[in-house]
Amino acid sequence: MTDIVNIRDTVTIDEAAHEIYKQLTEGSNLLEAPFKTMKDVFMFATCLGVKLGIKRQLTIKKLTIFRWAQFDSQTDIPMLKAIAIADTDDVSVLLRRNDILTIAEEYANAGIYELRASLLEEYGQPLWNLVSIVSQGIN
Amino acid sequence: MLREKLNQLFTLYDPAIQTIIAEVLTLEQAYISMKTPHLKEPIDQIVTRIASKELERMDEHKD
Amino acid sequence: MKFERIILENFRQYYVQERLDFAKDNQRRVTVIHGVNGAGKTSLFLAINWCLYGEGVDNVGELISKEAIKQASPGDTVTMSVELSFLHDGERYLAKRTRRGTRMLDGSVQINSSDEFIMMRILWDGQAQSIKNPIGTINAILPSNIRSYYLFDGEKIDDFAKPEAAKEVKEAIYLVFKLETLDRARRHLETAASDYRKELKTSTTGELLNLLDEDEKARGELGKKENRKVEITAEIQAARRKINDIDQRLREIQNAKFLQQQRDRVEQDLKQRRSELEDTQNLIRDISTTSYYTIVQPAIERALSLLEEKRERGEIPSNIRRQFVQDLVAQMQCICGRPFTAGSPEHQRLLRILDNALPGSLEDDVLEITATLRAFNERILRQRSELTILMKRRAELVDLIKDLDAVSDDIGRQLKDSQFEEVSRLELQRENFLTDIDRYNIETGELTRDIEGLKEKIAQLEKRIAQARKNEKREKLLSIKFDLAQKAADAIKDMYQTYADDMRLRIEGKTKEIFKMLIWKDSHFRDVCISRDFELEVIDRYGRPARPELSAGERQVLSLSFITAMSRISEEEAPLVMDTPFGRLSSQPRNNVTRYLPELADQLVLLVTDEELRDQARANLESRIGYEYILEFDPKTSCTTIVEVRR
Repeated sequence: MTDIVNIRDTVTIDEAAHEIYKQLTEGSNLLEAPFKTMKDVFMFATCLGVKLGIKRQLTIKKLTIFRWAQFDSQTDIPMLKAIAIADTDDVSVLLRRNDILTIAEEYANAGIYELRASLLEEYGQPLWNLVSIVSQGIN
Repeated sequence: MLREKLNQLFTLYDPAIQTIIAEVLTLEQAYISMKTPHLKEPIDQIVTRIASKELERMDEHKD
Repeated sequence: MKFERIILENFRQYYVQERLDFAKDNQRRVTVIHGVNGAGKTSLFLAINWCLYGEGVDNVGELISKEAIKQASPGDTVTMSVELSFLHDGERYLAKRTRRGTRMLDGSVQINSSDEFIMMRILWDGQAQSIKNPIGTINAILPSNIRSYYLFDGEKIDDFAKPEAAKEVKEAIYLVFKLETLDRARRHLETAASDYRKELKTSTTGELLNLLDEDEKARGELGKKENRKVEITAEIQAARRKINDIDQRLREIQNAKFLQQQRDRVEQDLKQRRSELEDTQNLIRDISTTSYYTIVQPAIERALSLLEEKRERGEIPSNIRRQFVQDLVAQMQCICGRPFTAGSPEHQRLLRILDNALPGSLEDDVLEITATLRAFNERILRQRSELTILMKRRAELVDLIKDLDAVSDDIGRQLKDSQFEEVSRLELQRENFLTDIDRYNIETGELTRDIEGLKEKIAQLEKRIAQARKNEKREKLLSIKFDLAQKAADAIKDMYQTYADDMRLRIEGKTKEIFKMLIWKDSHFRDVCISRDFELEVIDRYGRPARPELSAGERQVLSLSFITAMSRISEEEAPLVMDTPFGRLSSQPRNNVTRYLPELADQLVLLVTDEELRDQARANLESRIGYEYILEFDPKTSCTTIVEVRR
């Protein structure tokens, strides 16, 4: 049973991952904390999850880090929709924002740890590690 | 009356003490026919109430 | 408490309904009820006890009238009740206890649930007001635990004077004079105080002071560091100004002019390059942090091909929207739980909302996504090449800056090595200032980090301080509670003995007074004592304990004296109801007792056999009797009727 008022507006992450999000965005040093917004981190984490094919359900301890409105309608939202379609093999998922969100959140919940590993735990400053990931694209 | 006589016993004591004694005695008397009544909660309530008033009084005197 | 009237309904021998009024005048305060043994005196006595307290009726067999049971048919309800009206403290009360049972086939009766006890206050106009807590009320008027000293069973008249009766005497005094109450109060307050003390021990006194201390220190440090930062900024500015001055000076000196101008150009260039480097890095950051789709190109491809497939296979119906929306609405219910009725205003409104919320059509949405995803691929390529260019440019800039730095250093060295002392000196100074600035920058970095940390620490401390303040308040209260509870317990302890002694002596005095009044061998006894161990003792004129020599009658009078003494001293106004009190007394003590007894109680109810009340004894009571009854027992029905004796 769908209740129209329950279309989710918030994007949530596991409390445990919050630290990583903060590390990648806080401070004025863009070489160390390259991301400008949480949303950017989230999109990256999601895509890493998708690329590696790993998902992870959120636990009970979670928190909201930004809202749906923050997503760019030209780039982010189509991306999330594409991911949802690829994940479910079902086109009608396009009509269910909640599902699109949940799928993205679960990919992100796995991908965030990969992101930490590739950016913060490798030699070199995080920004350059990021550049190399982006440049390489397909591994 | 016995009650008055009992309360008169304590006139030399602090009014707060007198109040506590009077109230606790009334409480105990009401349950005197029970062998072991559980009066911990009601007695704590009495003491807390009187103590709070004392605390207020003390604070007022400070200012 | 003064009895007014009792109504018995099907209680033991009292079949259907029997009633009795009690004498309660000041002058005529005695009610006499005659009855041979078995006629129902004891039942009457039991009825009073049962009505008020529901007690005293163990081991007496079935209370419900046998006749009533016999007369009932199987299945009928048999009702038994005792109703007692009385005066107390200027108010009129009614107490009634009822028991109901069902008559069984075999002639027995099965009791329905527990007895019902109600109490009512009778107002001036005769209206009855129900009392919410009947048990509490009756116990406040005449507590159950001391009732046996007022509702006085004559069989027990011996009890207090028996040699082993110290326990009884002590208990009587204990209960009637609320020593038990005092004792319980003291014990419970001690326990409370002890609990509070335990709680206090686990407390965290001093924590608040420590935290405030820490907070002060942290703030002090923060202030110092912030000041230092400001200082350093000023120092850096000063150093820069000095460097500018030196540069200016060098420009003026013939032998340094050329090199300095060169350096000026290099510095200018460096500034530009550095700025460009920063911009480039910002761009790199902007692009790389938003090109996440480069890493999921395969997924994009897959989604695209999926969509293509479905479109080719016609699996995306074009007019899905209307149907989909209607299905959705059909599944939904209004938020309040009612389903939408087709065509209703809510239904229309919802359709409108949905129309606006959904994409033009699913197919349109798919087309849109497909286009966007295709565009991604181009974007990916574009951004990758952009990124490559930017990274290359960055590398170039880094090299350029390195080179320019080298040139600047070189110029500096040349100037330092100059033959001209002033130039060399100036350059050295300049170098020192630069070194200083470096140091200051490093220090600034550290300070910034420390300041962040301190601010965080202070925020944490503030939280803890607020909590500690709360705790401190709670603790202050707890400390006062402990103090009060302990002091109250101690006060009771201190006064208890005084009070107990006082009561004991008063009862002793009164008992002696009454005993002397009642006993006829006045001169034979000198004193009555209640020892500290609560032994009731009579001292003969030789100063020796005389109790062993007391006759049965004398012992009974001693008991009676004690009872009535207690009743006088406690000032509890209650009727003295005595069941066969004179049965064991010989005529002499009986006469004495009957002469003085009316003065010893506010209301007297005597349940007597004829044997007990004759001749002189009778004559003694005559002027005080208000009502007199005979209990007439019919052996055929085993029922008793209460018959008033007209006077």
